[in-house]
Amino acid sequence: MAELTDILKSDKQKLKEKKEAQKIRIKTMSSRERSYLRKKVFADKIWVFFRFVILFGLGFVILYPLIYMVSCTFRERTDMNDPTVMWIPRNYTLNILKETIVAMDFRNTLETTLVLNIGCSLVQVVSCAITGYGFARFKFKGKGILFGIVIMMILVPTQVISLPLYTQFRFFGIGNLTMNLIDTKATMYLPALTANGIRSGLMILIFRQFFKGLPKELEDAAYIDGCGPFMTFVRVMVPNAASSFLTVFLFSVVWYWNDYYVSATFFTNTKTIALMLQNLDTELKLRLFNSATVEISPREQIVWKEAGCLMSIMPILVLYTCLQKYFTEGIERSGLVA
Amino acid sequence: MTDNKKTGRKLPYEKRKALYGYGFISLWLVGTVFFFLIPLIKSLWYSFNEVSIGTQKMVTEWVGLGKYEYVLNVDEHYTEYLKDMLVETLWKTPLVLIFSLFIAVILNQKFKGRTLARAIFFLPVIIATGPVYKIINGDMSSTGNTGAAQFSTMFSTDLVGELLQFLGIYGLSDNMSSMISTIADNIFGIVWSSGIQILIFLAALQNIPPSAKEAAQVEGATAWEYFWKITFPYVSPFILANLIFTVIDSFTSPTNTVMKRILAMKEDWKFGEASAMAWIYFLIVLGAIGLITVTVNKLIYYEVD
Repeated sequence: MAELTDILKSDKQKLKEKKEAQKIRIKTMSSRERSYLRKKVFADKIWVFFRFVILFGLGFVILYPLIYMVSCTFRERTDMNDPTVMWIPRNYTLNILKETIVAMDFRNTLETTLVLNIGCSLVQVVSCAITGYGFARFKFKGKGILFGIVIMMILVPTQVISLPLYTQFRFFGIGNLTMNLIDTKATMYLPALTANGIRSGLMILIFRQFFKGLPKELEDAAYIDGCGPFMTFVRVMVPNAASSFLTVFLFSVVWYWNDYYVSATFFTNTKTIALMLQNLDTELKLRLFNSATVEISPREQIVWKEAGCLMSIMPILVLYTCLQKYFTEGIERSGLVA
Repeated sequence: MTDNKKTGRKLPYEKRKALYGYGFISLWLVGTVFFFLIPLIKSLWYSFNEVSIGTQKMVTEWVGLGKYEYVLNVDEHYTEYLKDMLVETLWKTPLVLIFSLFIAVILNQKFKGRTLARAIFFLPVIIATGPVYKIINGDMSSTGNTGAAQFSTMFSTDLVGELLQFLGIYGLSDNMSSMISTIADNIFGIVWSSGIQILIFLAALQNIPPSAKEAAQVEGATAWEYFWKITFPYVSPFILANLIFTVIDSFTSPTNTVMKRILAMKEDWKFGEASAMAWIYFLIVLGAIGLITVTVNKLIYYEVD
């Protein structure tokens, strides 16, 4: 303890000395220099205040819906009609949450979604990494055109190809040997396995940039030792790309989690969180609003929808809070910027 | 040939490497042919045909440019939506870019609570692409919910008013608050659609070498000069990337009315019309991106490596 206070004291003393030195320096300055310094300090202070206001205001714009979600989830529906209730509910209840969990069949849905998302993302990250490496390190004929196709994959919106893609899965196979893959998980796994899943073009690009940025000497050493290209990739390149893998994987999970367009095209009975949320309206009508005795105004229905939103972003929000570092810092390391 | 003798293998090194290259991309190539190229060509083919579902496959009947004519001249909504969407993209994209660059510059400075601020500003990255955003944005028209209008006013129009109330400021004049709320309405959309852009700009800002900063300080550059002479040149390559990203993102935005129209067409089993609509929209945007890329590329500063 004594040592600590000593250190603190000496720190304070140092600060004092510094300030005195500064004072002496300022005295030796001309008036113009002094006014420049004063202006600078003043401008800095104003900027700090200004920055705080901007960040606070815009942060509010982002957090507003989330705060509102939480607020809605735990209030009774009658609170929606109470003009005095804005943020803090008058009557707390957990019923809304429970009812939404039932309506979304939350446990089963969550399980299906998690397994599907993590499975697809894992497969997709691996296949995209292999493809990206192929584009980054090897020279072959037609590479330019093929890479152009990768760029096209990024540019073409899913809506353009979703219908023919549907028929592709509906009549999957060659010639007359076809089978119906619609509503099976293969509609998600097959594209992911072949680096054609959701936003795979972007992922191939990221991996290509990343592998291009690694020094060539790494592989040359392995080649000289008699390692084949694929083993070199697995043994030498992959360990170097670990953090990049994690970032891309996390983004992939998020994209699969949020996707409802592709899954709505292929799934009719398989339920994912995003689809359930999309259909929450119908589901709720079926279960709750249909009863003749209770009438629920659209405004009151908001509470269930907000609860549904909260439930469906919760898992991804938890993931984000725990691994925030990899989401935000990974992008730099993963070589998107290169 | 001497190489061959030395290594004792059949193929020269270069050729072998090329083969391995094909090996690495073969998985993707197979998938792309099946899940991207064939559907893409089919979709183009559909747009020239009358399409109906048969027992074993789609039945098509060639109608030439008929579908395009129908979509552009007969369909009552499409051209209107298309015009609106293009105009919106035109003014919103620059705003998103300016905004995200501004925020990135701020988030790159050192201050207390920076990690928290960053975490909040990247939140839209993980939420804004999903159906949650659809609900947040007050867009529930797909379900025909009568409460949709009420819901959306509740949410986005008076955000600044809400903020002011939240902070305890009341009684701004109506004129003022209505003006603010129109701006705020758009701010909501802009803030929520610039998560990734901020992320990319921030990464670019962190790539500015410290020596450049020191040099600027020694020369006594003001923050303004520093931004235009140092920051801007360094991030300019990423402006293009972000621009493309923003435009592509607008395709998948749940508020995109053109895409909604296309989906509605599909649900009516009018595949030919839907494909034609999608292709017109896509080609216009692609053309615009191409044009911008060519012009912007001339103005961009690339650091010579």
